Amino acid sequence: MKQTFLVRDVDGWDAVAARILEILRPGDVLLLSGPLGAGKTTFTQALARALGGVLRPRSPTFALVRAYPVKGPRRITRLVHIDAYRLETPEEAHALGLEDELLTPGTVLAIEWPEKIALPAQFSKTPFRLTITPMDPSGRVAELTVPD
Amino acid sequence: MSTWTRVLGIESSCDETAVAILACRGNEVRRVKDLVTSQVPIHQKYGGVVPEVAARSHVPETVSLLTQALGRRGLGSFDVIAVTQGPGLPIALRVGIEAARVLALLSGKPLIGVNHLEGHVASAWLDPANRRKFVFPLLALVVSGGHTELVIMKDFGDYRLIGETQDDAAGEAFDKTAKLMGLPYPGGPQIAKLALAGDPNAIPLPRPMLHDGTFNMSFSGLKTAVRLAWEAGQATGIKKEDVAASIQQAIVEVLVHKTIAAARHARVASVALVGGVSANTVLRETLGARLRDELPHVGYLPSDRKSITDNAAMIAAAGYWQYQNGTRHDWKKMEARPEWPLGVR
Repeated sequence: MKQTFLVRDVDGWDAVAARILEILRPGDVLLLSGPLGAGKTTFTQALARALGGVLRPRSPTFALVRAYPVKGPRRITRLVHIDAYRLETPEEAHALGLEDELLTPGTVLAIEWPEKIALPAQFSKTPFRLTITPMDPSGRVAELTVPD
Repeated sequence: MSTWTRVLGIESSCDETAVAILACRGNEVRRVKDLVTSQVPIHQKYGGVVPEVAARSHVPETVSLLTQALGRRGLGSFDVIAVTQGPGLPIALRVGIEAARVLALLSGKPLIGVNHLEGHVASAWLDPANRRKFVFPLLALVVSGGHTELVIMKDFGDYRLIGETQDDAAGEAFDKTAKLMGLPYPGGPQIAKLALAGDPNAIPLPRPMLHDGTFNMSFSGLKTAVRLAWEAGQATGIKKEDVAASIQQAIVEVLVHKTIAAARHARVASVALVGGVSANTVLRETLGARLRDELPHVGYLPSDRKSITDNAAMIAAAGYWQYQNGTRHDWKKMEARPEWPLGVR
């Protein structure tokens, strides 16, 4: 099911996060797409907040993987924020240790720049996707796909 | 006179693999070995190009660097082992930690897990001129591609985080705005080079949180601001030198403003500038000049130019501090701490 949000400012991401929160479960994977500066990390900060997280996610570009404790519904206890921006070849997906991350109970994954790497089917076939398009001079159109 | 302590440092928290041996005695330091992946002809040793996957997994590099650093004296070439325990990429951290655990088991020598950020702070101490004026309380600005943090150090091993970026690191802001201008990676040095011929006030760029009373920073808004200025400027013939100089000015101004404010607030005796972005000449000079003008009694300790990017000499130096403080970790129990904040035991 597709839904489009008009995100006018930082607070606009809360509605997108709230919609995802209605159905997100441990083990779910969310793919985030959009150009540099689209707001993928800013959205993830809104998601962490919605999940009851105390720590504010920072850009994972350099670290590649960052994990945050949260207190979400349906026993979601951990948000892992991943960024493939710096990876140079599709095979480098292995370096992220994605399967290992999901072994921790209560984990959900948010992956930025998924199109840069060859994700295992378990991740690439996820029903959760957010595609962000910046508008001029500001604001974004966010297209959310969630399971029916 | 006490004897020299030889500290083996191992770093594999992100991209670089590094091994170093420092000989330390009180305030004296000798670099016995200081090796980083890029300095070693690994391709020759392993017969061909190392796939990126293996490069990021650090395994062949760690083995090769350790072999080279320990040399013929083997386990007799060090007295203490210091390894980066976090923060960093779990899969990468584990490589250095497993190597260090095996060395601790085989040698029976003490093992110390070091915080990567403490290592960066220690990189200022590696400069002999800085060691003479390394006085507490000390404020460190740790600024790199992955970090932008202001840390108060009350003593060796005693840290408190007082400010940090809320989104992108300053080094990342350089790299990503450079990318938006079509400049090659890494963008920081490219921006700095172009900025030499540009007007730093040509393009108005945001300085968020500048006067919010905290020591936190934000750099993610620069991306959109630069993109819009760059796109609009294509029609008007904008000069890339001017854009680069304006980007550098915006980043440096925020870093310097927040550092001076934090130094004043915490009444520190010295200010250290460390991490990859401390290589930026305008940042080094601007912070130095502002400290001289506004806080003339505060010492200025810019990083040792030999140890700016991720390296193992800084891990060995921080390991030496911890060793002197009595820190010892059990090799049987040591695990990676991917999200280890500085200041937490």
